[in-house]
Amino acid sequence: MAELYLKRVISVLAIASFVFSSISCRVVASNEPFYGNTTPPERNILRYVNGGEPESLDPAISTGQPEARIYMALYEGLVEYDPKSLDAIPAIAERWDVNNDYSEFVFHLRKNARFSNGDPINANDFLYSLRRALAPETLSLSASLAYYIRYAQAFNAGSVFVRDPSSKQFLLVTDISSGKSETNEPLSQKALGANESEYQSTSPTPAPDTSFHQLMHSPMRLTLPASEKARDKLVTSNPKLQSAIAGKEFVKVAAEDIGVEAVDDFTIRISLAQPAPYFPGLLAHQLFRVISRKVVEKYGSNWTDPSHIVTSGPFKLKLWHPYSEVVVERDPMYWDASHVHLDELHFFFSTDHPTSMNLYKVGAADAVVNHSVPNAWLDVVRPKKDYMDAAEAAITMIMMNVTQPPMNDLRVRRAFNMAIDKVTYAKSKRITKPLSAFTPEGIFVGYPQPKGDGFDPEQARKLLTEAGYPVTEKSDRSYECPKFPVDQVNFTFATHSSNQALAQFMQAQWKQNLGINVMLSNMEFKTFNQARGRLEYKGLALMIFGGDYMDPTTFLNIFLTPSGDNGSGWWDQKYVDLLAEANHTLDKQKRYELLAKAEKYMLDAQPTIPIETTAVNWVKKPYVKGLYPNPQSLFAWKFVYIERDPAKWDYGTPSLSD
Amino acid sequence: MLSAFTLQMDRQECLSYLQMLRFIIRRLVITIPTILVVITITWGLIRLAPGNFYTGEKSIPKAIEANIREHYGLDQPWHVQYRRTMGRILRLDFGTSLSYTGQSVNVIIARGLPVSATIGMLAYLLALVVGAIVGSIAALKQNSKWDYGSMALAMLGISVPNFVLGPILVLFFSLTLYWLPPSRWEGFISKNLILPVITLSALYMAYIARLTRAGMLEVLRSDYIRTARAKGLSESQVLIRHALRGGLLPVVSFTGPALAFLLTGTVVVEQIFVLPGLGNYFIQAALNRDEPLILGIVAFIAITLLLMNLLVDIAYACMDPRIRY
Repeated sequence: MAELYLKRVISVLAIASFVFSSISCRVVASNEPFYGNTTPPERNILRYVNGGEPESLDPAISTGQPEARIYMALYEGLVEYDPKSLDAIPAIAERWDVNNDYSEFVFHLRKNARFSNGDPINANDFLYSLRRALAPETLSLSASLAYYIRYAQAFNAGSVFVRDPSSKQFLLVTDISSGKSETNEPLSQKALGANESEYQSTSPTPAPDTSFHQLMHSPMRLTLPASEKARDKLVTSNPKLQSAIAGKEFVKVAAEDIGVEAVDDFTIRISLAQPAPYFPGLLAHQLFRVISRKVVEKYGSNWTDPSHIVTSGPFKLKLWHPYSEVVVERDPMYWDASHVHLDELHFFFSTDHPTSMNLYKVGAADAVVNHSVPNAWLDVVRPKKDYMDAAEAAITMIMMNVTQPPMNDLRVRRAFNMAIDKVTYAKSKRITKPLSAFTPEGIFVGYPQPKGDGFDPEQARKLLTEAGYPVTEKSDRSYECPKFPVDQVNFTFATHSSNQALAQFMQAQWKQNLGINVMLSNMEFKTFNQARGRLEYKGLALMIFGGDYMDPTTFLNIFLTPSGDNGSGWWDQKYVDLLAEANHTLDKQKRYELLAKAEKYMLDAQPTIPIETTAVNWVKKPYVKGLYPNPQSLFAWKFVYIERDPAKWDYGTPSLSD
Repeated sequence: MLSAFTLQMDRQECLSYLQMLRFIIRRLVITIPTILVVITITWGLIRLAPGNFYTGEKSIPKAIEANIREHYGLDQPWHVQYRRTMGRILRLDFGTSLSYTGQSVNVIIARGLPVSATIGMLAYLLALVVGAIVGSIAALKQNSKWDYGSMALAMLGISVPNFVLGPILVLFFSLTLYWLPPSRWEGFISKNLILPVITLSALYMAYIARLTRAGMLEVLRSDYIRTARAKGLSESQVLIRHALRGGLLPVVSFTGPALAFLLTGTVVVEQIFVLPGLGNYFIQAALNRDEPLILGIVAFIAITLLLMNLLVDIAYACMDPRIRY
């Protein structure tokens, strides 16, 4: 009896599995042009699967991309990201003037901008928003993006100026570090009058002069850490500094010292500590978006509560259901409300890629966040006409710990790089592009990208042999490198299936081409990031880096300081000088050439193995128009609309260039 | 369970109110140190985990990190931090979340609980009804095709994990038939609840079916059932008034911990179906190193678990006259 029923159960199971497999076969074989349902929503709404739950609705605090996209709906800054190129386009600032070395900017605000409660937005609101974002007690995680602005870093770090108590004169940077030539100073710090033609674009005339402006156009004051301990450490190591500050008083850097000025109600002048041609593009970042002083001061950290919140963007908050969705609706107070197409925008929370794709397929979502299409689904989804195929401003690389042997040897580092067939790897990933240089390929137009070493296993073995680790060929034509200290080299990465696949590919390459068996070690995300940042890993560590703004320096700056994102331990004054030289160069093409020179210099030192330029990887329904697969997946929502006429739908990836 | 309790109170052989009260107070008193120990261990484990709530893909400047550490008192010695945290928790204030700026942990729990509890209760009710019926049938028709069939299905329910069952249900009912939504929360009464509830209840349904069957088999052979039949009671009266009460005893002891887990959120199902419940918050809090939120949820789960166990013990005492405290 029992046996009989067991058989029956097994046959039922067999039928069930047949049914399911035939379903999945149907998915693969379907010839539909799009992935899933293409019925537009009844109302003018967009339902977007946005990734993780937003940490906060306060634009000054969070750094994440999911937050950035929500902030782009709720808040507006002086400028906005262009939907295709991500360049700065006018937002609350109608236009702006730039001085001749990109170290001072004057923004002219439109007069009809309003908050969602109807209050007008003027220059003082921007002044307040920026000062608040930089205040130490705000605890902004992205405050460092504003460090280009004069004294912003000092204010954010709570630093102090040094002042003579009797003469009230401040100690200057040049008083301590003599030798640096005056000519290197950006125009924003030279005395006014010495350079009459500061602004080339003379009409309409830039903002009038003010005493604050005079103050900004003076040499940089010296700033020191606020904590006595840190200051003492600095002072004892520098006798010149010690004598200079003797008998002086310390004055805390105040919000009013930052190089931002409301010249009048509708004019803002920003003075930078260094030339930065890409600064307007940076200003579109959430950190610089305007918030209402009245509401923040009234409710404190609770101001983002749905019952209190006041916003400045094309949409206002309608509903926030944590861990489920944020719904925003068109704000009638917005200055350009008549050009906002969508009535509502629903941001769904989901970090599980198949779940997001399922919502998309059944038509419950109209677009999904970048990287939602699992690698194994690409064969099915990529041929569809709603798959977004475009490059991304992000790279994958392997950092090497140059402070420890054997990776302190350049020859070993080069050998590990040359032993990887990046072209084959990119092919296996299908959508990414192999990278031999460092900055992502095909992102910065006109940038003369240098070339790093290509795939050359022969040369790699030779280099290793030269470094004292001879590679020998065995009888079965495989290689071995018996002297190599394999216990000193691990490949460490954050736990994730795609990282695992990458690591296994690299492991096989080194085994096959160098005869070295590198152990893999995966760690939980935060554990890994800390270990890499503190150089607490042996040999090799994976890094995926996305740019913050559209300029090669967002990548090249990784190696600007020995700490921070630089997880290699490699740091070279010459590289820093090369970058500085480039940033002082006014001609765009010339500047690019100098940046490329710096990049080449770094590539020659090989602190990292570049692997690939990643690619965006998401889907949107053909009826969603005005949403472009730009390199940072940041969308200016006011341009997005629902097209109900199938003849005008997108059949394929919309072009980013026209 | 509670109705069983009230039903039984008028019976003379049930324990007196006073005895019962003493027992409950004793158990509640023991609960407090237990929870403090649980919180302390959790607190220590969070300290041991590398990384901080502000650690991300990109590093932040030292000055910003120093600001954050000072603001949250992370620059102070561990015993100061421990004392402060415990002092706060003893006042039942779990503080504000670190990663969800400005949101109070108490509010977050209050928000996630109804979602988790709704899904959990529905799943348990479904499991109880279906499981008890299937288990009883299997016991009554022992060694029949009903018995083997249902027990094979139960075995399948126990062996197939919910992260397999969930996607299969979604594949069939959402992506192929387009009958039910594949995920998301759209209120307490919506079609979106059906798949997660079924997915969640499968395991419990299977357990309850097996427990009921085992319990019933034992009871059906006992003397008092024979007595009941000898008294001339109808078969249905024997089953419902006598057999089922005894046969469900193992299910009752299973109910306590099961309900505690179901009410406080089920990580996997909430992830698969993107439900804004406690389980989702819990896993994110751990990944975010959000200490106040982790401690708050752990304390809440511990309290729920201990209370459920207490309720089970009380119910047990009332359902089985042989048990005394």
